[in-house]
Amino acid sequence: MIKRTCCCCAILLLLLSVNRAEAHPHVWVTFHSEVLYAADGSVTGVRHAWTFDDMFSAYALQGISHAKKGQYTREELAPLAQTNVDSLKEYDYFTYARADGKKLKFTEPVDYWLEYKNPSLILHFTLPLKAPAAAKAMQIEVYDPSIFVDFAFAKDKPVSLSGAPPQCLATYDLPHQPTAAEQARLSQLDATPLDPSSTYGEIFANKILVKCP
Amino acid sequence: MTRSRAVFLTALAAIVIASAGGVASAWSAPFGEPHPATNLSASGLSGWIFAEQAAFYRSLSGFIRAAKDDGAAMWELFGVSLVYGVFHAIGPGHGKAVISSYLVANEETWRRGIVLSFVSAGIQSIVAIVIVAIAAVLLGTTAKVIGLTVHLVEIISYALVILIGLRLLYVKGRGFLIACRALTWRRTPDLAFAAAPAAVTLSTQAFRVPARRPGAMTMRGGQCQIEGCTAQVHGFHCHDDHDHHESAWGHAHGPEPAMLAGAGGWRRGLAAVVAVGLRPCSGAIIVLIFALAQDLFWTGVGATLIMGLGTAITVAAIATVAVSARQVAGRIARARAGLGILAMRAIEIGAAALIVAFGAMLLAGYMASEQLWMFTG
Repeated sequence: MIKRTCCCCAILLLLLSVNRAEAHPHVWVTFHSEVLYAADGSVTGVRHAWTFDDMFSAYALQGISHAKKGQYTREELAPLAQTNVDSLKEYDYFTYARADGKKLKFTEPVDYWLEYKNPSLILHFTLPLKAPAAAKAMQIEVYDPSIFVDFAFAKDKPVSLSGAPPQCLATYDLPHQPTAAEQARLSQLDATPLDPSSTYGEIFANKILVKCP
Repeated sequence: MTRSRAVFLTALAAIVIASAGGVASAWSAPFGEPHPATNLSASGLSGWIFAEQAAFYRSLSGFIRAAKDDGAAMWELFGVSLVYGVFHAIGPGHGKAVISSYLVANEETWRRGIVLSFVSAGIQSIVAIVIVAIAAVLLGTTAKVIGLTVHLVEIISYALVILIGLRLLYVKGRGFLIACRALTWRRTPDLAFAAAPAAVTLSTQAFRVPARRPGAMTMRGGQCQIEGCTAQVHGFHCHDDHDHHESAWGHAHGPEPAMLAGAGGWRRGLAAVVAVGLRPCSGAIIVLIFALAQDLFWTGVGATLIMGLGTAITVAAIATVAVSARQVAGRIARARAGLGILAMRAIEIGAAALIVAFGAMLLAGYMASEQLWMFTG
């Protein structure tokens, strides 16, 4: 009986500690991504348009001075856009690219601005690749491993290509629900972070695949 | 005994249900629409809870908007806020872990557990309202400033949690050692423990003692071997007239029941709930600012308070499980005088150590704490 009680207490404490380590989204982003190509057929970067949910948009707009009620110009939102891209650096812009399986690196974003379409804020930015990459299979993933931000493809126009060779075809893949084992690992993420080489987070990624045979 | 078994089974069932809710709450919502070929092997209930809370949260904005034109929609908003609070508190934060550990360590009653849960959730709501009222309504600051304020308040909250944990660890560690010594030594170790409490250093000092005396915990037939003592309901109550015994027990075991009800007891409990409740929930902050943007600040305040009520219900339920588990353990411990009481002291130390661990983990990494500043600096 005492053993069982100890067991009972252990379960309770475990439950409480596991609970602590879970995140839940407070920001929802629906995104559209455009893969950019150079004239020689290599990929040069990704152009994102991220639409924030209405509540987070209101939060982000708090205290931003604007001339007309309910309207924000690109100039009025410029400082916020700057803050956005600065803050996102720490999170690798939630964008991870691979060319034929090899990881690619992005440089600092360019052409970034915020747009306000009542009730949502839309963040536009372009992530240039450090070096243009020519690849038969290009994979770009967008996700937040910490699950504070929920990313989902825009329903109407999730992915597009800009200046791609004619034989290139873009497809996209939605994340699958984690299996029990993946779930177990997920709940420990904060206590035992992933090492940088881990590919674990990929299972929750929104995947963009471009094939240029 | 059948009654205690029933309590035990109830507690166990509650734990299973609660853990089902907890274990899988990290999945579902963040991943957009599930892949068609999904593997639904994880618990359906927990996934459902997590999906529900995300859905409720997202529906809040619609209800707040509706409340603008239609007064009746406000009641719907309040209803949704309550349910959201209940579901949401299963996620991180909201002090379930710290409050439950505190209740276990401090031998609290379920009634007190419920009161403390409600007070801490109430404080949490009020802190969110006060931050938004001052920063956004009065000063018109940006989200960045609000994020930094929340950040600062969080750090204070975590530091206080650590302090409370350390104090408990010190008190309970002392209690454990005294229980150990009482079982083997005839002499009361009044010298070692006469010093005034100074949590950090003394707790480490206290822990060194058993290391020096391995095998100090010898017992015979579950009987307390100290002269004049009998193992009774709440640990060792010595009925001889040695004054130093009394004082040693009294402090080490935590407050006597009479003291719990007194003003001092409540004040002590208040320190814990304030520490926990200080940290506002970022969901509440976002809802308040959204409501403010719709010129419905007071509706947002109402929704936040009701959300807090929902949170309190969940936290109180989990706290009740923790207290019940402890009470069952205590009942069993009583049947096995020496070892049982040692085990209880050990559980208390474990719970106190957990509070320190939670606080330290939160402070060090903010763990899954809600990073409002992810986009806003």
